[in-house]
Amino acid sequence: MRRNLLGWADLIALLVLAAGFFVPMLTHSVLVYSILNQVFTGVIAAESVWIMLRMNLLSFATPTFMAIGGYTVAIAGEYNVTDAFLMTAASFILPALVAIPLGALVLRLRGTYFVLVTFVLSQIMQLVLFETPSLTGGSNGIAGVPPVTLFGTEMGTNRQVLEFACGLAMLATLITGLLTRWFRQHFAAIEENEILAESLGLVVWRYKAMGFVVAAGISGLAGYSLVNMLLTAHPSSFDSGTAVDFIAYTIIGGRVSILGPVLGTGALVYATNLFGTHGQYAQGLYGVLILVVVLVARGGIVGTVAALWRRRTS
Amino acid sequence: MTELRVESLAKRFGGLRVFQDISFILPQGGLLGVIGPNGAGKTTLINVISGRQPASAGRVFLGGRDITNKPAHAVSRLGLARSFQQTNTFKTVPVGENIARAIRFGGRGTPAGLDRMLDEFGLTPRLTEISDKLPYGLQKMLGLVMAFATGPAILLLDEPAAGLERAERHNVDTFVDIVRQAGASVLIVEHDMDLIRRMCPRILVLDAGVLLADGSPAEVLARPDVIAAYLGETEDAA
Amino acid sequence: MAEFSQAAIIGVSLGAQYALLALGFTLIFGILGVVNFAHGGFYMLGGYVAYSCVAYAGLPYPLAVLVAVIATGALGWIFELYLLERMVDDHLATLMLTLGLYLVMSTGLLTIFGPLSMEFAFPVKGAMHLGPIYVPRENLIVLAICLTTIAALWLVLYRTDLGRGLRALADDRAIAMAQGLRPKLLFPLAFAIATALAGLTGALVTPILSLSPGVGDPVLATSFLTVILGGLGSLEGAALAAFVVGVVEAFSSVYFGGSIGALVLFVLVLLLLVFRPTGLLGRTVRGA
Repeated sequence: MRRNLLGWADLIALLVLAAGFFVPMLTHSVLVYSILNQVFTGVIAAESVWIMLRMNLLSFATPTFMAIGGYTVAIAGEYNVTDAFLMTAASFILPALVAIPLGALVLRLRGTYFVLVTFVLSQIMQLVLFETPSLTGGSNGIAGVPPVTLFGTEMGTNRQVLEFACGLAMLATLITGLLTRWFRQHFAAIEENEILAESLGLVVWRYKAMGFVVAAGISGLAGYSLVNMLLTAHPSSFDSGTAVDFIAYTIIGGRVSILGPVLGTGALVYATNLFGTHGQYAQGLYGVLILVVVLVARGGIVGTVAALWRRRTS
Repeated sequence: MTELRVESLAKRFGGLRVFQDISFILPQGGLLGVIGPNGAGKTTLINVISGRQPASAGRVFLGGRDITNKPAHAVSRLGLARSFQQTNTFKTVPVGENIARAIRFGGRGTPAGLDRMLDEFGLTPRLTEISDKLPYGLQKMLGLVMAFATGPAILLLDEPAAGLERAERHNVDTFVDIVRQAGASVLIVEHDMDLIRRMCPRILVLDAGVLLADGSPAEVLARPDVIAAYLGETEDAA
Repeated sequence: MAEFSQAAIIGVSLGAQYALLALGFTLIFGILGVVNFAHGGFYMLGGYVAYSCVAYAGLPYPLAVLVAVIATGALGWIFELYLLERMVDDHLATLMLTLGLYLVMSTGLLTIFGPLSMEFAFPVKGAMHLGPIYVPRENLIVLAICLTTIAALWLVLYRTDLGRGLRALADDRAIAMAQGLRPKLLFPLAFAIATALAGLTGALVTPILSLSPGVGDPVLATSFLTVILGGLGSLEGAALAAFVVGVVEAFSSVYFGGSIGALVLFVLVLLLLVFRPTGLLGRTVRGA
């Protein structure tokens, strides 16, 4: 059997994201930059949700691990540690380490426990942030985070911030693609028939835990991207409600392919910006779209487009 | 030596007793039939032995090793595989991928006789077909082949002939023959009495969760209590 | 000593509220196998319906509570029958449906009532002095209603045919259906009972705590914590765990202040999952 490291969907996703590098040649609009930054951060976060959805697990833990990654960067910034490579590694590894015991614990139990525990976790993270002011600045957060430095150069301009976010999103997509491609058979078996997979000898919880650990690392990258965009780490950035946003991006975009979280995030972040200052109403739209996807368009945007395409060409 | 030894095994759901005090030994290379009316606890017995559901009491030993309440994947990795009553395959992928997954997840390499099995059931030319598109009988055989593809020392079959056309049932005989030639022992839960009579040198009869009889088909099926408990029912059903 | 007794009473009355929420949640999970993400939404809805009845329709508060119960129960019934029912065997799909419903409900309430807290006060004021202990009357009334409701629910579930049917469905759906139970009727009913309980809790409690579009999330989190602690699907476990959660929360807020209590509780629940994954009174947890 042919085994490629990446599938064509991964490559298309990388190409779509790489287009972000060329946007500054076309426009200097602050609004466009801002939306794109949100999209890149959202794509990373949604990919962490997507990894777990590959195994039928709905994760609310994304903001929790984003907070760990984001605050790691912000606290390092207070000590003037801003090297991009170092902080990328740190913002990935720390959340992943925290996820190891948690995953080993919860993923041996029924899938339902995973949903419940990650949801509670996202609520608890807020309390942790508020209760540890000496480390995280409590309700004030950490302001004035210095911009990243790449090979000793400060990446402080709007354009550089955008390029860095774009690079992080591509890195996250690459990691996600490699992971899901490498364990494709295992994840697909778990998604389709977990009981059969287990009875054939697959140690299901171990693959779930592996996915969870990598997903946590990727969430950490999203936290890094967010803090670098805002130059602030604040509890409200990692609010448990945002977990629902990332889940919506992924489900509405389509869980069948990595293009789902990428395109879903793009479409919904754009739509949310159309609400202008009434962004809080966007969740109602997400709710309606989730209902629609579950009831009539199981493949989300990507799945539906693919099905239509197939019908036209066949 | 890999024998399966079940000692005073019991299973309760809440207050409901599914079975209790089940003891038997399946020697290496042996073939054991288990019969009993619907609701006698046969499937649950397989579920408990294979680690799908926890036991309420008693122990299960595999080659002298205590496997009671070990998770299903661990039991499978130790060499005890099971098939399912309903067709159970990865429906959205081709036949070949189904078998590749079974070999891979089992982790013991391709067992001897697998190719012959695929030929016998006519699956070899259909390896690229999506398993859901196969006729029911072939899906069912694929499920059995997958259990064998993990390379087990012991195989528990849950009604392998159920749902098969009469003409297809000899496939089950062929399957069991190849499995035993590979050196594995087989426990077979079945409703088809002809199949049980012609294949099994020894059978257990389960009724309402207790072991009613244990012996050769000729002697067991002649016992009045077995006839009352079991054969009466199948005639009703027929 | 007075401080201790006061914390105990607050704890018990919190526990009674949590029990109503967690019992409904567990009922839905046990019978339908559905994790109801909209549970906090029905709590909110109960609060807003009761508020609207009092503020706009001028109904007396007890009647407003009754309307809230009926409205949340009816919405639960309709949602189960027309949407959830189609997907009831697909755990992930039902999860997403209830999540979608929750988003629609909370945005709807936000649109109608705005983001600010409502001026919704409990009609009975004042406090009783039992020796040195001071207990607000409103808490006592809520406690009494909650305990009565729990008792009534217990009677329905354990002393009627309907209850036996519901519990049989929760134990083993296949066997129960083989015995002629009709999930087409019992599923929506169970869901409606559970959402009505959430609505009742919301109508009773939001005047004492607060009523704003954000109150659903913490309610949901507390329900989750409670059912994990009690053991998924166990009614007795949920009730017991609710009082544990309520008492721990009350004592920690009296003696430590802030949100340390919630943190401690979460750590305790995680530890429990290590040593006793079935929760206090739960059964099977392994597998899909």
